Amino acid sequence: MKYVALVIPLLFLALFAYALFKKVKLYDCFTAGIKEAAPLVLSLFPYLAAILILSELFEQSGLSGYLTAFLAPAFRALGIPPEISKLVLLKPFSGSGSTALLSEILSAYGADSYIARCACVAYGSSETVFYILAVYFAGIGKRRIRPVLISLFAGFASVVLGCFLCRFL
Amino acid sequence: MNAIFAIVFFASAVLFLFTNPNGFLAAMLSGGEKAATLSLSLLAVYCVWLGFFKVMEQSGLSGKLAGGVYPLAKRLFRSNDREGVYLASCNLSANFLGLPGAPTPLGVKAVKRFTDAGNHYAADMLFVLNATSLQLLPTTVIALRLAAGSASAADIFLPTLISTLFCTLLGGILVSLTRSRK
Repeated sequence: MKYVALVIPLLFLALFAYALFKKVKLYDCFTAGIKEAAPLVLSLFPYLAAILILSELFEQSGLSGYLTAFLAPAFRALGIPPEISKLVLLKPFSGSGSTALLSEILSAYGADSYIARCACVAYGSSETVFYILAVYFAGIGKRRIRPVLISLFAGFASVVLGCFLCRFL
Repeated sequence: MNAIFAIVFFASAVLFLFTNPNGFLAAMLSGGEKAATLSLSLLAVYCVWLGFFKVMEQSGLSGKLAGGVYPLAKRLFRSNDREGVYLASCNLSANFLGLPGAPTPLGVKAVKRFTDAGNHYAADMLFVLNATSLQLLPTTVIALRLAAGSASAADIFLPTLISTLFCTLLGGILVSLTRSRK
């Protein structure tokens, strides 16, 4: 695991050394890149805010809780332990929320238990879909529903597969 | 998106009316607060990586890399836009390596380019590949397991890799299958 930490510093070192060799003015160039940062964030902000407000409503109103309880039997039939069904539902909406939930599950059931391992795979196999939606499709029309459905479906299918794999891997 | 927004909004608002009317505004404000903090941390991340990518661009390195991956990635995205295809492939490799924050500015730029050119297929494909996140090492998970006292934190690597690979493949295949109905 130790070597993984070297990747990023080495990446920067190698690139900047190469750039110097190519006679790039590092300071001017680096600042020119940063110049694009603020406009990019500003253009994303409204969409990000709307989606985060919505997902907060979804969670705090208890709607996500009802949905979890409602879906738990179906999850069990597919081999997903009911203890992690909340994580499976939360994952597409909230990255930080599901990280917090994952560490709760890890300490509640023990990091090496079957449930915890399923939770880890469920957490690791897909991304926070609605966050990516907010950021990537910011300001791009309303027709973009299909890719979201595909992502959610693929993510869910991989959780089913992951829980199955955890039985013997 | 408008339909989803309306449905979730009304359902949660009605629930709040019955269970906890005071919580309604508090929940919305905490969403706004999250957006503000997230934007600030995004800004920090963009500063570092957009600077990095600019150096990469001006040193001529990105041009070379683009030439290498272009023939393959062109087919994946069905696009002839060299710059967009390059941004998209950088985004995918940054995802794969798990470089924190690096994929986002690249992905946002690539999706914008693809959409402006009217290539919704490429934008959808890139979105799905990002949302299904193919990552080589689940670094966050391994760190969390270590913190929780796992005896072999890294043994989650194989099942996670298989299921995330499956997830990404399934997503990509579904996008290319459903393309014709446009």
